[in-house]
Amino acid sequence: MSYLDVIDTLQSIADGVLFGATYSLLGIGFTLVFGVMHKINLSYAAASIGAAYASLIVLSVVKAPAIFIFMLAGLSGGIIGFVIYVVCFRFIPQANPLATLMSTVGALLLIDEIIVHATVGIPVPYPALFSDVIVNAGSFTLRGDLMFMFALGCLSMLLLLVLLYRTKLGIATRAVAQQSVAAQLCGISIPRINGLTFVITGVVGGIAGAMIGAAIGVLSPLLSLPLTTKGLIVTVIGGLGSIPGAIIAGLLVGGFENLFQYFRGVTERDLYVMLLLFVFLVFRPGGIFSPAAGRD
Amino acid sequence: MDFYLGLAQIVGVHTLLGLSAYCVLLTGQVSLAQAGFFAIGAYVAAMLTVLAGWHIVPALAAASLVAGATACAVGFPALRVRGLMLVVATLAFGEAVRLFFFNFDYQVAKGEVKIGPAGGEGFRQIRFFPENGWSTLDVLVFIWVFVALVMTALWWMDRSRAGAVLRAVGEDEVAAQSAGINVTAVKVSAMTVGGFIAGLGGGIFAHYTAHIEHAQFGVALATFAIAYPILGGLSSVFGTLIAVVFVQAFLIEGLRFLGDWRNLLFGGLILFAMNVRPRGLIDAATIAAVKRMRIRNREPGNARTQGAE
Repeated sequence: MSYLDVIDTLQSIADGVLFGATYSLLGIGFTLVFGVMHKINLSYAAASIGAAYASLIVLSVVKAPAIFIFMLAGLSGGIIGFVIYVVCFRFIPQANPLATLMSTVGALLLIDEIIVHATVGIPVPYPALFSDVIVNAGSFTLRGDLMFMFALGCLSMLLLLVLLYRTKLGIATRAVAQQSVAAQLCGISIPRINGLTFVITGVVGGIAGAMIGAAIGVLSPLLSLPLTTKGLIVTVIGGLGSIPGAIIAGLLVGGFENLFQYFRGVTERDLYVMLLLFVFLVFRPGGIFSPAAGRD
Repeated sequence: MDFYLGLAQIVGVHTLLGLSAYCVLLTGQVSLAQAGFFAIGAYVAAMLTVLAGWHIVPALAAASLVAGATACAVGFPALRVRGLMLVVATLAFGEAVRLFFFNFDYQVAKGEVKIGPAGGEGFRQIRFFPENGWSTLDVLVFIWVFVALVMTALWWMDRSRAGAVLRAVGEDEVAAQSAGINVTAVKVSAMTVGGFIAGLGGGIFAHYTAHIEHAQFGVALATFAIAYPILGGLSSVFGTLIAVVFVQAFLIEGLRFLGDWRNLLFGGLILFAMNVRPRGLIDAATIAAVKRMRIRNREPGNARTQGAE
């Protein structure tokens, strides 16, 4: 292996880790909903892509600088998240996990089809920020748009952690996640916290959707199923319900995936990501940060 | 007419797929690997008839056995985890199988042309039915014989002790374990039976579509597989059949006149159905109501026959 090969390998890992920030955000969304409600929201990645589309629509009507697209995506993500909570979870009995699983699948198909219908099935270009900036560090180059994306991802994760660990709402959310009955006895309204969790994860997902659009350059409904798979894999590798786990697992999966794309090509890339998951399931089934055994 | 025969073929194969997920769902496990077992069955059966020149019946048997054995092998490590972890593990397995066939290139020169699965291009030369002169109707009957066999077997199993054990594990694992049931063995056997049925369905699927490729066995198919029993309800095997007819005949074919709007309605109707009937179209209450009606109908009948005597 020559010097150049080493450089290329490290370069592809670095690019992958930078892109992995989006996987982290998606993983956080899955993990938060699972932590609070013990339910899977399969429509999450589709909703994130949908939020990115919605931000494009708003931006085409209102003239605003491109930077606002991320805020708009977050905002529409929050709204979509709440709608999904109402139609998929609010009126279905909590004790029936299969029904909500199926209803989120219905929402996934519905969102995808709305996108296909609205765009006549043509992928839509998405504005990238700082794509003309390229930082040279020795033999490495770092793409400006990916670095901006990574910084934005870190910022939103930081804000989310502050929200969860330093505010009353965050305390209530974690209380419901820990012991919903005890939380209810303390006067916390469970439907309200559940709804707010969906709004928060929706905002995070909307930002992730906008980041994915900006990094790839186009948006397409075909992205939603692969992203659902990746997001779920990140959730499991990180440990269910663990936010730091989801962050680290997202970056890990991003770097791993790009490394194998470099070595084995794009058709075999995901096969190795699945293998990574199986390695974790066999040797560390609880994930990187497995939560302490639940009391209920 | 051929259109309806073709539709009935699709309904038959999808019923097999739905029943394979039904077995696993009875034990309370959500498996998104059924599309993977379906793909294994399809490729094995097609390779046996095309490359090895077998008759379709032994080929189907071999395909189901291979898929069942794979399911058993996957079941042991995968069933250590449950809930969301199992969903993700099986989803990843299904995708891994699909990606394997995406990269699977095994072509044999036969005369002038090369035949066999060719990676991303798929497997094109599956011509068992046309080569042996089977008409559409013959194929249809062939498919439904298998569907009827599997449905009868599952219906009978549901009424037997095995069905009670499966449902006990599905309702409450801890309670089932304390009643002396070996939970892991039950789950792995359910998974094996599910894989066997999925492999059978896949083998038939490969032969009536005549062309298989990796994209047909993606997450979408896996989702459909669990959607049928959940939509139809887990109380009876007939729920799955009704759900397949509802989805394939009504939602997909019946609403074709709506054009583009059909796809929009598809997801919306699934959402609506789950909100209105969270336990499926045919749930325990429906079955109880049907039984009550049958008893009520029988009572005056009985009285009359007794009167005649």
